[in-house]
Amino acid sequence: MSTILVIAEHRRNELRPVTFELISAAQGLKKSADDKVLVAVVGSQAETFTAALSVSGVDEILKIPAPVSEFDPDVYEAAVSALIEAKQPSVVLLPHSVDSLGYAATLASKAGYGFATDVFIVEYQGSDLVATRGGYNQKVNVEVDFPGKSIVVMTIRASVFKPLEGSSSPAVSSFDLPTVQSRSQNKDFVEQGGGNDIDITTVDFIMSIGRGIGEETNVEQFRELAETAGATLCCSRPIADAGWLPKSRQVGQSGKVVGSCKLYVALGISGSIQHMAGMKHVPTIVAVNTDPSASIFTIAKYGIVADIFDFEEELNSQLAA
Amino acid sequence: MKLPECAAALVDLALKAGDPYSAAAVHVIAAGKARRKLEELMFSKRRDALALARWEHTPASVLEALCGASDEAIVVRLDKNQNTPAQAISRLYVTESLSSKNSLSLTVLVAQHRHASLAVLRNIAQFENDEASLLAVSKNLASNSEVLSMLLSRFESNSILEALQKNISEHPSTSPQLLEQLYDKGDVYVKAAVIGHANCSQRLIDQAVQEESVLIQRQLAADRRLSNDVISRLSLHQDKSVRCAVASNLTAPKDVIKSLATDDSDVVRRVVASRSDLTAHSINSLMNDPDVWVRQKLARNSIVPYRVLAKLSQDLQADVRRGVARNAKCSVKLLRVLAKDEDYWVRSAVAYQRRTPKQLLVDLVEDTAVDVLSGVANNPNTPQKLLKKLTVSKEADVRRGVILNQSATRLTLLPLLEDAYYLHRLMLVANTKLKDKDKWHLCFDPDFQVRFAAFRYFANSFIKSGS
Repeated sequence: MSTILVIAEHRRNELRPVTFELISAAQGLKKSADDKVLVAVVGSQAETFTAALSVSGVDEILKIPAPVSEFDPDVYEAAVSALIEAKQPSVVLLPHSVDSLGYAATLASKAGYGFATDVFIVEYQGSDLVATRGGYNQKVNVEVDFPGKSIVVMTIRASVFKPLEGSSSPAVSSFDLPTVQSRSQNKDFVEQGGGNDIDITTVDFIMSIGRGIGEETNVEQFRELAETAGATLCCSRPIADAGWLPKSRQVGQSGKVVGSCKLYVALGISGSIQHMAGMKHVPTIVAVNTDPSASIFTIAKYGIVADIFDFEEELNSQLAA
Repeated sequence: MKLPECAAALVDLALKAGDPYSAAAVHVIAAGKARRKLEELMFSKRRDALALARWEHTPASVLEALCGASDEAIVVRLDKNQNTPAQAISRLYVTESLSSKNSLSLTVLVAQHRHASLAVLRNIAQFENDEASLLAVSKNLASNSEVLSMLLSRFESNSILEALQKNISEHPSTSPQLLEQLYDKGDVYVKAAVIGHANCSQRLIDQAVQEESVLIQRQLAADRRLSNDVISRLSLHQDKSVRCAVASNLTAPKDVIKSLATDDSDVVRRVVASRSDLTAHSINSLMNDPDVWVRQKLARNSIVPYRVLAKLSQDLQADVRRGVARNAKCSVKLLRVLAKDEDYWVRSAVAYQRRTPKQLLVDLVEDTAVDVLSGVANNPNTPQKLLKKLTVSKEADVRRGVILNQSATRLTLLPLLEDAYYLHRLMLVANTKLKDKDKWHLCFDPDFQVRFAAFRYFANSFIKSGS
């Protein structure tokens, strides 16, 4: 019998959706009916999450009461480290999120566990656990195995595993947090400005405009096109800097990483390194640009060397037909 | 460290820095032994040479120097790099043609390169048989009508012909004569492209009036040489895309536009709403249009009178109110009202608006939305005192707004030279308000891109001053 440990992630009293995706990934790793999926939740209000975590695929919920309600890297590292020692899971799954980045690598390195980040496929090939992640700027998929490691820690990419449906009645128990000296303090929660605009990190279809649109008056026709196509209109930095679209729609290093996007249509975007940092992981990228040598084509699945206005006109007439 | 007084001193400094990117930045001003030392620094490690051959900012002189490399991986990167100068591309083409390993993929890269010379393109068009290379020539903006004609004449019937016809019918250098040939032989897509081409002859326009294809009619309807009769007839076309094209045609008569302002199709009315020759009657009709996009486009239209803008500024849809705030002729009176709008995106439009007076910007700086603050930071009317306050904003977007503000003075910008975000320091390298002595320390910045930009800036200064 082996144990798969999932670390739940929550923020401001709400479980993050990725937690349920991790449970789904853990369920896929069960080799026999005896294998168990344990979900651990750390925090002063850990108790309040047990009902929400009683979903299909969970065998046991472990509450780890902590003096803090929000994420604290020292507290999480101590809690998860002690839990691994006590439960000896074969696999520990964490979200590939800013929280996990704060402690996962340290945790694995200190104890000499196997470790892989940003994993989007995890499976057993025979008796070997194999994780797949991107390599060389997501140009290739790299399979990572962990010879000689009986415990492996992985951070799992969000929006890859589909959460399981249905509820369950898992056992609920508590686990004591060891003494820990925290080096940070949660003072306030600041909501990123930008008002009530859509959160582009959660949408799956994006049309994005760049300098190629030329003038502000042209933005509207692409907003129309995106609306007709059912896409969210985003942009590269110069467009947001000029105030043509909100900052909340900016993709890239200065903007946001569109983590859940499945289809990204880049219109008149040359593809600076800074922009690509926010979208190069998207599985299907369609690039439209008049310059055949534009960098964006190096990561696009489909490249169209054309004027974006011709493309817009043609696509609009096709969508309207 | 003091600002160098001559080009040689700058080159020396780049050499001492031991950084291949700083070396690349000053390569163009170096000569003789110093230039060889720079090349040694840049190319001695294969990894650096590969990175420079690929980097979009690598100066042409460095790419030229790399051109003699026998490493195929470097050659591929040079062929792909759009900064590789024409001479180097020609040399690479000759070397690759003579090579026993003559690689077709390299020929394609040369054929699509923007610096490929006419001689090289002519050679490929005339002698190469690889389809991808020939199609690349037909799309290359450096190809002229003679090269395009040569390509077309080589293939009377071939699988490549259709694709060539399509590319050449869209190429800006295609001559009226070649377009006539294409119109006679091409399919409906080629014909439509020919009709939409700037070099299309009046004879073909007249001939196309008889065509039934919607694609061709759509291209035709946008042509400014059409007679009023033909435009009127096309404005009644059953396909809305054709009517849209008429609505966008600047030569369309007023009565046609008046009629299209009440067209059944929303998309046609949207195009009409942006026109600069709307009559009062059409404006009155469009301001009450049920389609929000129509009202939004009208709100942005600078010919719309105050009375209409005032009404649209109270529209229930925020996008329409934003349109008013972004209107180039929007009055200060309306901007004052819109500055208090409940929607941050409307307030942001006021903050970016060039007509927004100082006092209103002072009020808007108290806003919490980053888009509004960025607008204030960008606006040339914002007082320097306020801009200085924004240089220490915790929001990088707001600080960048100050950098982009053309009215920001040297004193306002100085603290941003130490900004935590490398992109901001990079943007300041080219800023003309800052003095050379202010920027000099950026040559030793922790970020390689900033160092490169700073060294390049000073190298260009020496080129301009001739020292």
